[in-house]
Amino acid sequence: MKTIWRYLKLTGLMMRNCFVRELQFKANFVVRFFTELMWLVMQFIYIGVMYGQTGEIAGWNKWEMIVLMGTNYVIAQLFEALFYDNCVRLTDQIRQGDLDFNLIKPINTQFLVSLRYTDYASVFNSMVGVGVILFALGKMGMAVSFGGAILFGALVLNGVLIYYSILFVLSVWTFWIGRSNNLMELYWQFGQFSRYPGDIYPWFLRKLLWTVIPMLVVSNVPAGLLIHKLEIGGIFYGFALGALFLSFTVWIWKKGLQRYRSASS
Amino acid sequence: MSEAVRAKSAFHKYWIILSTRTQEDMAYRANYVFGAIFRFLPLVTMIFLWWAIYDGRKTSGASPLIGGMSYEDMVVYNALMYVARGFSSVPGTMSDISKDVKDGLLNRYLIKPINYLWYQVMYRLAHKLVFWYIALLTFPPIFFLMRRYFTHWPTLWECGAFVVSLFIAFSIGMLFCSMIGMLAFWFLEISGFLFVVMMLEFFMSGQLIPLNILPAYLHQVLFFSPFGYEGYWPCVILMGKVPEDQLLQVLLIGFVWVGIFYGLSRLMWKQGLKRYSAVGG
Repeated sequence: MKTIWRYLKLTGLMMRNCFVRELQFKANFVVRFFTELMWLVMQFIYIGVMYGQTGEIAGWNKWEMIVLMGTNYVIAQLFEALFYDNCVRLTDQIRQGDLDFNLIKPINTQFLVSLRYTDYASVFNSMVGVGVILFALGKMGMAVSFGGAILFGALVLNGVLIYYSILFVLSVWTFWIGRSNNLMELYWQFGQFSRYPGDIYPWFLRKLLWTVIPMLVVSNVPAGLLIHKLEIGGIFYGFALGALFLSFTVWIWKKGLQRYRSASS
Repeated sequence: MSEAVRAKSAFHKYWIILSTRTQEDMAYRANYVFGAIFRFLPLVTMIFLWWAIYDGRKTSGASPLIGGMSYEDMVVYNALMYVARGFSSVPGTMSDISKDVKDGLLNRYLIKPINYLWYQVMYRLAHKLVFWYIALLTFPPIFFLMRRYFTHWPTLWECGAFVVSLFIAFSIGMLFCSMIGMLAFWFLEISGFLFVVMMLEFFMSGQLIPLNILPAYLHQVLFFSPFGYEGYWPCVILMGKVPEDQLLQVLLIGFVWVGIFYGLSRLMWKQGLKRYSAVGG
């Protein structure tokens, strides 16, 4: 209990530290907000054009698709807020031997390197995503119960952690191959799969995206909960898979550390 | 002709930049291979997404064509977009140029007997050469796997126009990015703005959605905009969607844009240098 409290306090401190840093660049905050807003508008146009051609895509109507888009957006933004920068920094630290400074601190190193920096502009943008979801649900005349909202929040967090697990494993890969750029590109390209309903994919690909590369678990499970397109088993499966992926990161991190050679070159 | 005279010839010095840059990039070719394979992941999504859309139309009894394009056409359009973007996208150009201007790094180039903008062109051209060296290994097998979607055999005219349009694509992409980068002469911090510009380019070049299926009131703007040449036009030309008697007109408008952009970028460079304060350095 004492340990958990200590880690929570530390998380709070790191977040506060980043918040203070963020306040020094207020203009950046505004610019980021508007660019993200434009991205969302473009997604709306995209969905609008697609549904201008047909009433249903693989059994999903327009507003259901927007709920999915919004959910995926919230998850992606939260991931970028909490972990993305940290994963990118981690690859540099491993390559250049800067990880030393983190290893000597009296705290779990994976925890430290994963949560050190928070990007507040993305936190803010994720709330815009929540607005999109509520708007689409309102259009369909659907409501969310209090319990449903809590469960949705937990599933969103689960999705964020799955994203984190995948990207973290890719970053840790640097221990073996010595370099790992293209990380950003991979994130974007795999992220494509979670933007759409799993129902559009053929059997084999769908199974793959529900298990080994669980991009569908990330977004389709929480969105499915809101629009009643999810069986109860899906919830349990989602959490179980999230836990499995997260424990894998701990294992691979330890394996990787054994290969760490500290100083550069 | 002596070595010294030869080295002075304008062509030769840019040739040296090009070949050095190419060799540098070749050292990282493994990176390119990696990117070249994963680059196609979004295409997988597109193939199935459009299938679901066309399927939805079939069940509701709507026409099997969207904006004159069949499902096969739509897949081919998305695949050819990779070829077009392979020419028109010059990643990093905007930010590199704006950084050189902002941080005073431009000094390094100003004291050399080279034209900075041509230097940038050679730099990106080298990048493209290595990209296509790898792409010639990865694109054909992927296109071969997709052969059943390619229903139209392009005519000789269309092939010729396609090649020309790729040249226009690279020119417009390169010149446009240079101009945006040079805005740093007037506005020091433009990184946020770059993102907006890239998104607009993404949309207006037809990468997200083919321009012809966007609302009709946008057509006038989109069809005559320079951005269509960075994606939409090369694709539809090879697909035979542009009537042969209009090919020349489409290409001519493209060349007009190249000319306008070339003139503008020269003007921006001249005016910009007057404002350049060489801070940092």
